[in-house]
Amino acid sequence: MFWRDYLIPRLLQYFLVIFLGITIVFFIPRLAPTNPVERTIAEVRSRGQYLDPAHIKDMVDALTEMYGLSGSWWEQYKDFWVRLSRGDFGVSFFQFPTPVIELIKRALPWTVGLLFTTTVLSWLFGNIVGGMAGYAHSRGWSKLLDFLAMFVRPIPYYVVALGLLILFGYVYRLFPIGGGATIGVRPSWTLAYIKDVLRHAFLPALSMVLLGGASWFQTSKLIVQNVKAEDFVQYAQLGGIRESRIMFRYIIRNAMLPQVTNLALSLGQILSGALITEIVFSYPGLGHLLYSAITTGDYNLIMGIISLSIVAITTLVLIVDLLYPLFDPRIRYK
Amino acid sequence: MKPSDVVLRTENLKAHYVLDVPGGQKVVRAVDGVELQIRRNEIYGIAGESGCGKSTLMKTLYAWVNRPLRLVEGSVFYSKDGQEFDVYALNKQELRRLRWTFMAYVPQGAMSIFNPVIKIKETYRDFLSSHLRGKTVEEMFEMAKEHIEQLGLPVSILEAYPHQLSGGMRQRVAIALAALLRPSVIFADEPTTALDVVVQRGVVQLLKDIQERLHNTIILVTHDMGIHANVTDRLCIMYAGRIIEEAATVEIFKNPLHPYTQFLINSLPQFGDTGERVSAPGQPPSLANLPSGCAFHPRCPQAMPICRERRPEDTKLGEHRVACWLHAERGEAEYAANS
Repeated sequence: MFWRDYLIPRLLQYFLVIFLGITIVFFIPRLAPTNPVERTIAEVRSRGQYLDPAHIKDMVDALTEMYGLSGSWWEQYKDFWVRLSRGDFGVSFFQFPTPVIELIKRALPWTVGLLFTTTVLSWLFGNIVGGMAGYAHSRGWSKLLDFLAMFVRPIPYYVVALGLLILFGYVYRLFPIGGGATIGVRPSWTLAYIKDVLRHAFLPALSMVLLGGASWFQTSKLIVQNVKAEDFVQYAQLGGIRESRIMFRYIIRNAMLPQVTNLALSLGQILSGALITEIVFSYPGLGHLLYSAITTGDYNLIMGIISLSIVAITTLVLIVDLLYPLFDPRIRYK
Repeated sequence: MKPSDVVLRTENLKAHYVLDVPGGQKVVRAVDGVELQIRRNEIYGIAGESGCGKSTLMKTLYAWVNRPLRLVEGSVFYSKDGQEFDVYALNKQELRRLRWTFMAYVPQGAMSIFNPVIKIKETYRDFLSSHLRGKTVEEMFEMAKEHIEQLGLPVSILEAYPHQLSGGMRQRVAIALAALLRPSVIFADEPTTALDVVVQRGVVQLLKDIQERLHNTIILVTHDMGIHANVTDRLCIMYAGRIIEEAATVEIFKNPLHPYTQFLINSLPQFGDTGERVSAPGQPPSLANLPSGCAFHPRCPQAMPICRERRPEDTKLGEHRVACWLHAERGEAEYAANS
């Protein structure tokens, strides 16, 4: 029985993983040797501000309350889940007093828009070109592409990103050097605004497709090359089966199996943002937000973004698990 | 033998694996001057120990020569509809069309030869649609079903995925598939290896049934002399890339001439005989570094000085031929006269 024997245990596992992940996210900051309340006060003091000792007591209480640090750990933990169930991650400190969920909502479309597009594009590009190169692996052009990929891949991402930025944003001013859209322009569904967003997204997207595509290319080429040497492909060739049929039904069909899983995992990682991309191109996405949260010690914001990321990855893994038997009959629900 | 009886013949066939190794090339002489004539309507056996070039010979006969294997010399002639042609003179398309309709192949190791993500009936369909024109998918499935039924296999396997079938069943499906388009020649490379004897019997029976039904030629490679005794009409023994003896199977078992063949036959257990079995001493030679003269001489208890120096040519004794100096008085006399 699919329901009883597979789906329900799998769903329980899904919720358990989310539960454990978020629990860990809850406890790790509390086990850390820094106290966020003291840190905030020290920060205020370091700016040279004089604080009245009586005032400090009030501040500590208020901050403790806002950080969700009042009461025992158990009470805090219960409270944390109650608030979480309402979608309330608390208030951000780095942009006080905006709720965390509000900040995430603002950054999410930028990150998802950019990363979803680049992930899918580089996956498609890498797999199609890599597949063809793997099929014709002894040809000159295939070897040339392989060499190029081998050359591009090890370049550190920030070098590529900065290089593109300097070249096309500064030397040749073809694209803006940062931001998600021109500052001061109101978001709207007009052609001008969409063009503006695309122009801003172009360089970050290019940098990611370039490196991501090269990586997908290499994996895909290798997989196709291996599948091509499999007995069942040799047998089909031995049997005089038409080449187009061998290519699609025998080689690509089988080579896609691991790549589908890899795509889903990459999509799941979108919600943790692309930190370096967003910093280099000052892109207003989740990675940027997370970075600011970490540098300012904004625990609520960190917990909010990481929780979201945990849910995204586990959900995509669940979806892949459920869909996989459609692609590979050897995987069956017991 | 009438020439019209011959469906396949080779002339001095040589196929070597040419490998690039540091400091030059390494040549593995897997098929090194093979002369064969195989008739219509017979099961022809090729026997020999592992690494003697049996499978390479099969591939070369099937014109399935991929690098690093290379056809170095010689030709393979098939005769189809009374016309003889060199299979290596055909282009890629002609060769593709010849496969499965005229000659089919059962490769070694049927465990992994089927596409794991499609059902067996889809594999049938791929073979049918690549070689027949103007059939609908339903017609092709229907043909597959009829074919499976005729051979006495369960029809349910068509709906199965390869991993749901046992090893023996997969082997039988591979054989059934080879017979699908009623080819004139079927190559079967070690079809019974890795199966237990009970399943082996079923596989052997299937091969025999197909041959009786189609009256075609089956070329069967196995190192199992028991299978050869049961199935084949004529038998050749391969050693180090050459055929050292060939005769009717009964004749080979009754009257083996080559010392190596004698070892092979004498190593088989017999009813009532409790004596110790003797096998050929030593190891098979490396095909990359063959001994001089007769390749068997380092292991041969009856080796003579000439065996070390010159390779024996075939000596024909009626339908029985053997490549050994013991039986080549004429060659020996020649050698004595020359030195």
